[in-house]
Amino acid sequence: MASQKFSVFLTQLAASLREEKGPELAYLLKPTSEHGKALVKDFRGNITRQSLSHYEGSLESPWDEIAIQYVLVVNHCGKKRATEAFKEQCTLLSLFLRFFATNSGWTLPALFSILRDLRDLAFDADLEGVSNGQEGTASMEEAARIIMKAFSNCVTDRQSPIQESRKWGVYYVVGLILKCYFRVKRISLSKNILRAIEANPDIPPLSQYPRAHQVTYRYYIGMLSFLSEDFAKAEQELTQAFYNCYTGAHSNHERVLTYLIPLRMFRGHLPSKELLQRFPVLEDLYSPFIHAIRTGDIRTYDASLDRFERRLVDLNLWLTLERARELCIRGLFRRVWIAAEKSTRIPISMFHAALLIAGQEEMTAEEAECLVANMVYKGFMRGYISHEKQMVVIAKTDAFPRLADRPAPFAMLQ
Amino acid sequence: MSASAASTSQPVQSTSAAVEHTKDDDVPHLGVLEEDDEFEEFAVADWDDSQTDLAHLGGTAPGAAKSGGDKLWEDNWDDDDIEDDFSVQLRNELAKKKGNGGGPEPMQH
Repeated sequence: MASQKFSVFLTQLAASLREEKGPELAYLLKPTSEHGKALVKDFRGNITRQSLSHYEGSLESPWDEIAIQYVLVVNHCGKKRATEAFKEQCTLLSLFLRFFATNSGWTLPALFSILRDLRDLAFDADLEGVSNGQEGTASMEEAARIIMKAFSNCVTDRQSPIQESRKWGVYYVVGLILKCYFRVKRISLSKNILRAIEANPDIPPLSQYPRAHQVTYRYYIGMLSFLSEDFAKAEQELTQAFYNCYTGAHSNHERVLTYLIPLRMFRGHLPSKELLQRFPVLEDLYSPFIHAIRTGDIRTYDASLDRFERRLVDLNLWLTLERARELCIRGLFRRVWIAAEKSTRIPISMFHAALLIAGQEEMTAEEAECLVANMVYKGFMRGYISHEKQMVVIAKTDAFPRLADRPAPFAMLQ
Repeated sequence: MSASAASTSQPVQSTSAAVEHTKDDDVPHLGVLEEDDEFEEFAVADWDDSQTDLAHLGGTAPGAAKSGGDKLWEDNWDDDDIEDDFSVQLRNELAKKKGNGGGPEPMQH
């Protein structure tokens, strides 16, 4: 059973290998391509490893097997058998890695493409599993495990000159692994790979990698830091991700900014109108909070927390915005101080009254005093409380330091 | 008395029903921010500063706000001149306390 088209395909593979054309190799191995479908058609339905086995030896190993494997993947894809397609793609990757591990970085475009398809197929396979009543994310976890092998093969390049090193694949591959871990909600596994990066000081600095790799990596590091409540690091990484992101990649840009805005709020940096206008979804979500912080409008702040609760919980942001409520209380207390014409002595009962007017009907005088003490302790206002006189004595200068001037804005959040 | 209590409680109920409705149905869709979406593959691998928000920073490092040269973030936003109902109510409250002598409430017994 010979296929004219398959012979052509083998010739094309051989040419791209001989001429070391990575992008072409990547293109030839795309499971969704037209030439792939044409190949499958040419075999007239007779596609098994058995039936294709006589092509073994037609290219230098492992490329004969990779070519056969490719036809199997395309065939399953065309017949919407995601789980089988995924399994065959895993085998294709393993075969490819045998070649990859002994070659230089010209192969990276093909590696990236194969890994990307592998992950997409794992995604589809898990969906297919769910629609057949199976629970879980077995394929995606398997994908992460074998993409990890590709990571090792990138890191261990000791022969190639640095410009042609497989090490230039490291951050793309890591980004993909992290994406798998996030998908299956097993982000604690990320620690292993981050440790592996640290353990390899000869990996070139991140800033020398293509921006797509940098931004993806920083996004995930930022998110990992955010979820483990290392807010200072999260803010740094997401700031870098935001500013280096391609502005045309709007949804990625927006996703980074979604987490960056609340973190910046703690630093006293509120997004400008100009920034929010570029991201209407975020404008809808955040402007009520931002306006409330500016005006000390605790009632609107609480109503917004309530209104957006479900979305904020889904995004892991609810707790952060709940904590940012302090910024709004600061605003409220500052307005008391303004109303009292910046007096240095304001009765606690005045702060209590303000809280009551602002809709905190349940608040007792003791709780109000406690809240003032807390704001002083956290450095939102400068002064002290005279408990006997029920008076707040406020500093003459810099009574309410600018939020942007607080030395450790994230320190009180842990 | 009971009739007036009933008539005042009526609108309160409908208001709270409206609030419920708002919470369930009118929560804005957050588009790409739905939980299932993920960080997308970039269509290109690399790009210039001019295609990023670094472009308007004029060489300063990202991380600053307006006073540090980044117009995307405001850091001087404390406002001493907000005039709304709340400021009026606050001042009234303050005047009342001044009327009381401004000090602690005198003992009642």
